[in-house]
Amino acid sequence: MTAQVLTAAELALLTAVQDELVPAARSMPAAGALGAARAVDGYLAARPELRRAVLGALRAVDAAAGARPFAALGRNQRLAALRRVEADAPYDFHELVRQTYNAYYTHPQVQAKLGIDRPPQPRGYELPPFDPQRTARVRGMGKLWRDA
Amino acid sequence: MASPAFDSDVLIVGSGAAGAAAAWSLSRGGLRVTCLEQGRWIDPSEYAHARPDYELARQTTFAKNPNTRRWPEDYPVHTGGSVIEPLMVNAVGGSTVHWSGHFPRMRPSDFRVRSLDGAADDWPLTYWDLEPFYDLNDANVGVSGLAGDPGNPPRSPRQTPPLAFDAACEAYARGLEKLGWHWWPSDNALISAPFGQGRQPCNACGPCDIGCPIGAMSSAHVTYWPRALAQGVTLVTHARVEQITVDRAGRATGALYYDADGARRHHSAAVVVLAANGVGTPRLLLNSVSAQFPHGLANNAGVVGTNLMFHPVAFVSGVFPQVVNAQRGPIGGLMNCQEFYETDTSRGFVRGFELQLSRNVGPLSTATGALQGELAPWGGGHHAFVQSRYAHTVTITTMLEDLPEAENRVTLDPDLTDDHGIPAPRTAYRLGQNSERMLGFAIERARELLDAAGASEILVDPLVSEAGWHLMGTCRMGADPARSVVDQWGRAHECPNLFVIDGSTFTTSAAVNPTSTIQAIALRCADWLGRNFAEAAA
Ligand SMILES: Cc1cc2nc3c(=O)[nH]c(=O)nc-3n(C[C@H](O)[C@H](O)[C@H](O)COP(=O)(O)OP(=O)(O)OC[C@H]3O[C@@H](n4cnc5c(N)ncnc54)[C@H](O)[C@@H]3O)c2cc1C
Repeated sequence: MTAQVLTAAELALLTAVQDELVPAARSMPAAGALGAARAVDGYLAARPELRRAVLGALRAVDAAAGARPFAALGRNQRLAALRRVEADAPYDFHELVRQTYNAYYTHPQVQAKLGIDRPPQPRGYELPPFDPQRTARVRGMGKLWRDA
Repeated sequence: MASPAFDSDVLIVGSGAAGAAAAWSLSRGGLRVTCLEQGRWIDPSEYAHARPDYELARQTTFAKNPNTRRWPEDYPVHTGGSVIEPLMVNAVGGSTVHWSGHFPRMRPSDFRVRSLDGAADDWPLTYWDLEPFYDLNDANVGVSGLAGDPGNPPRSPRQTPPLAFDAACEAYARGLEKLGWHWWPSDNALISAPFGQGRQPCNACGPCDIGCPIGAMSSAHVTYWPRALAQGVTLVTHARVEQITVDRAGRATGALYYDADGARRHHSAAVVVLAANGVGTPRLLLNSVSAQFPHGLANNAGVVGTNLMFHPVAFVSGVFPQVVNAQRGPIGGLMNCQEFYETDTSRGFVRGFELQLSRNVGPLSTATGALQGELAPWGGGHHAFVQSRYAHTVTITTMLEDLPEAENRVTLDPDLTDDHGIPAPRTAYRLGQNSERMLGFAIERARELLDAAGASEILVDPLVSEAGWHLMGTCRMGADPARSVVDQWGRAHECPNLFVIDGSTFTTSAAVNPTSTIQAIALRCADWLGRNFAEAAA
């Protein structure tokens, strides 16, 4: 399936960038590998106002990578390129980071790793009731308000 | 039919907390009431709570900032001159459609700020004048909580018991007990047991701030509107009011509005009641220019739009080594500490604040900055950062009394308009000196509390910009027409058949969430208007 907004090259670049933004660690998958780039493409399709910043950040990363493609750089060079873009174009870069987090933390696989087995509704959660005995000390404080 | 020459006896603008309560009250006595509301009914199926991406709704469809959300029913607000962003919902039920439902009352001293503390102004009414309407409102909407708080005057038994008490509450109470400070399980406009029709008790799902799909939140569209409609009120949705019209004598005659098809219409009424909130109401008045009111309706004294108050807020979050799972359970102010509520000038400021326990958010909002005000770091440290905080954090919201200042205000923006070409409001707001001092002190007390509770790390967002939940003061109540817009009944000093009943009437802000007081005021004003309709309409 082709992307809606991003070109194949942009999608590949975004995937490589996302693997650095949210890298794999212990049991957590990396964002790019999880397919977060496609989800971000969907956000850009639904909310055109995001495109300028996210596409701008991608172009800036591409430029910061220099002669070689970003994905072909070594780890340290990739991180250095991203840090440069963050310093030079913080707004655009942070929008890209935000959309990556959006895609990552709404993915059921990531949620499962964090112990979330279902959305909040319809089941909600069972929590213990309040025991009024807990207010005993405070009740004993006497009137604390000023009459007026 | 009290005034057959008019389309309605009473025209209400805005169907939110205040407009809904007034519509219910006024229609009880048989008055013909119409409410014009620019928004629409939100269908429960639109809520995101049953989807894994529910947290995204905070940034998109159910964002609390209309400039972010951009529903067709929203109007833009120019907030360039404001360190706090005004937040609201434009729909049937107004801003109570997605809110937190924290429902404390003001204290008696809050109505006597000048007499007691030499600051700002006294209200033209007392706590005791309002008390029966607080009680009536609670009985109408359904409140959870516990009577008996020594920090407040005695009150009637709450309709449903206090909300759940989980590990987050345990942590908060542990700190407070250790310090020996006041605390109490707060009143919430959120039912914990069966109450009302078609509503389910809270099932602790968590994200109240993106709406409540089960009707547990006592929001105006589930509390007052079904009853008001059953009493015959006409609610016109997608009706954006452009201006209130006046006759040659300067009396209100009705409203010009755009209907759902974009047609410009006039609705005439014997009495006009404004309930468009602390930003929408002054906007409407300032835009209602006539020969009699060249600076906007009821604004010959120049007070409309001035004295804008928010409650300046810091979020102070404690990260705990143990799991507290505070993302579960209602998000709002569950427990209140009012240890520092009344004035003690040795602290370097007048008036006071409360420390509210708020629950917390899911992993996405944790990563996008809900706790610390900025994005979680990317790269190698990312997972450790998010995972040490998500499910481990409890947040204290500092709720400060904001004193009225004339320079903090709502005006009309010279360029920005809504989709109908109506001038958009612009807010100018900066923190006064008293608030700045109080905020610093409150943050230190919140730290002390979290420390006592056993937090291993404390995160501070020292002034939350997206915290303009409470829009107050811009058509203030008072006895002096040179310093206020309306009297104690919400009746405009300069226009006797025009009433303002929403948050803009607040003379001072107190240090508690305003909506129980907004609705009590709306009920009191509507009660007076219902009993004195002939005089008001004459
Ligand atoms: C995220 C969030 C959380 C909150 N949490 C709490 C809380 O825990 N406790 C608390 O007490 N308060 C809370 N509040 C605030 C509370 O929602 C407001 O105090 C309350 O709704 C204000 O009531 P109101 O009637 O003055 O205005 P609103 O409820 O805002 O209603 C105003 C209505 O007027 C309509 N309107 C405006 N202009 C026009 C026009 N020109 N033509 C037609 N219609 C118009 C709007 O569409 C809207 O429906 C919260 C608010 C938000 C946004």
